[in-house]
Amino acid sequence: MLKIDHLSKRYGATLAVNDLDFEVKPGVVTGFLGPNGSGKSTTMRVIIGLDRPTSGRATINGQTYDQLKAPLREVGALLDAKALDPSRSARNHLRALALANRIPFKRVDEVLEFVGVASVANKKVGGFSLGMSQRLGIAGALLGDPGVLLFDEPVNGLDPEGIRWIRDFFRSLAKEGRTVFVSSHLMSEMAVSADQIIVIGRGKFITSGTVDDLTANAAGTVLVRSSDPSRLTQVLNEAHGVVEPVNDAGLSVAGLTSDQVGEAAFAAGIVVHELTPQRASLEDVFMDLTADSLEYGHRSEAVLP
Amino acid sequence: MSTTPTLVDTTRSEWFKFRTVRASFIGVVTFIFLTIGLAVLITLVIKSNWTHRSAIDRLAFDPVTTSLVGVFFAQFAVGVIGARFITSEYASGAIRSTLASVPRRVHLVLSKVIVLLVIFFVLSEIVVVAAFEIGQAIYKSGHLPTGSLSNSSDLRSVIFAGIYLTMLALIGFGVGLILRTSASTISVYVTLLLIVPIIANFLPSSWQVHFTKFLPSNLGASMMSPQSSTNSFSWGTATIVLVIYTAVIVSAGTFLMTQRDA
Repeated sequence: MLKIDHLSKRYGATLAVNDLDFEVKPGVVTGFLGPNGSGKSTTMRVIIGLDRPTSGRATINGQTYDQLKAPLREVGALLDAKALDPSRSARNHLRALALANRIPFKRVDEVLEFVGVASVANKKVGGFSLGMSQRLGIAGALLGDPGVLLFDEPVNGLDPEGIRWIRDFFRSLAKEGRTVFVSSHLMSEMAVSADQIIVIGRGKFITSGTVDDLTANAAGTVLVRSSDPSRLTQVLNEAHGVVEPVNDAGLSVAGLTSDQVGEAAFAAGIVVHELTPQRASLEDVFMDLTADSLEYGHRSEAVLP
Repeated sequence: MSTTPTLVDTTRSEWFKFRTVRASFIGVVTFIFLTIGLAVLITLVIKSNWTHRSAIDRLAFDPVTTSLVGVFFAQFAVGVIGARFITSEYASGAIRSTLASVPRRVHLVLSKVIVLLVIFFVLSEIVVVAAFEIGQAIYKSGHLPTGSLSNSSDLRSVIFAGIYLTMLALIGFGVGLILRTSASTISVYVTLLLIVPIIANFLPSSWQVHFTKFLPSNLGASMMSPQSSTNSFSWGTATIVLVIYTAVIVSAGTFLMTQRDA
């Protein structure tokens, strides 16, 4: 179990992490979602002791990372796949880590085999593609068979097959009862790979919950296509719906349920060809939640000189 | 997998890391080549013009230190190897996976110090003994005076030449801990060994007598020379001063490492 306890981290004038406080539970995949620059990586760096927190702390099973006797046997982390000595081979990179944590060399070959880089194990990692480095990083995270796993933007650089593989892999790790904490700035990725999601923006906690929780609270719309869109618009406006035309004679209706839309159309004698409730996607929710917290983003009101 | 790792394990890991990169091998070969190669070169030059030397020059001839002169070139090689043992990790970012596996900074530094200490002590002693013996063999072939390891003063000069190189590897490492980039570390290291002595030459001579004996290269000369002169430390004091330098620099680097983000 991973616990973030009123954690703040300041770099000079920038407050990168602002009083984050949450727990990551074992047995599920927990997504850590936020725009670029929102403090996800900083939080991860503090968890594994690379950066010192300005205040608060992060603990793993009650201990801070530097209190762990054999850290790689309790926490596996993939933060930056390219953070390797380019002149060392993949196998030797893992062997050095294994030695420091008393992990047998046999395990090195097992994890290399598992992530599919065994065939290039003796090649220098400097020549590895990002995808291969990413797999080697995953092998490093698994080396000590740890109960807590952290992955910072793990799908970067992976091909579609690799992305599918890694999703299934996270699920299987969680199913084994491990704590799996995965950051991403891609909400679409989190929607399919995480059970539980924690959303942050500008270093601050925004919300958390399951994908369903997050989308349920957001108002959905109804897509309706009919024989007479202009009259239907009128009818729905009278029923206090907010109507926007969409392509192919369709209307997007907010503020009314699909039942209400159907009944209103029937009462006015309009033939309905399609009536589909549209749930807010996680992406919509995310955009709404983080709209105020983008550090680097498009601001619609910005005017270029 | 059940037992708790100790300093022995982290040290084995650092030793493994040292010997599995080619840069270490190239550095060590450079070090050996400089020390022994220069011993050969200089002793051959001395031998060839021996007959042209004055009687006073011949009397002042020191077969021991002349055969060890390569040490003052090799000191750059050992410093760079020592520095790169930490700066290369910062350059590649590998320091982050290192610290993930050994989060206690003091532990990590201690392991690296042990590795450097053992490698450079053993290697330096072998190399300086080889340089010495080769130099003496060359002198002997020209019927010049020679030193011998069975002479306790000569033996001490040779052993302390190796200790000097070992300390300089650690000083390079310590400066690397403080500065973290190879370029700045090597600049500072070279400045310390090469530029500061040149600047010291411009000081008034009344200052020089107090100041220059503290320069690392002069400490090295004191450690190797058969007898101490008036403006330099005895070999024992020189060794202590150099060990203090090393300890202060490495400790400062370790302290900074515990305070800074990786």
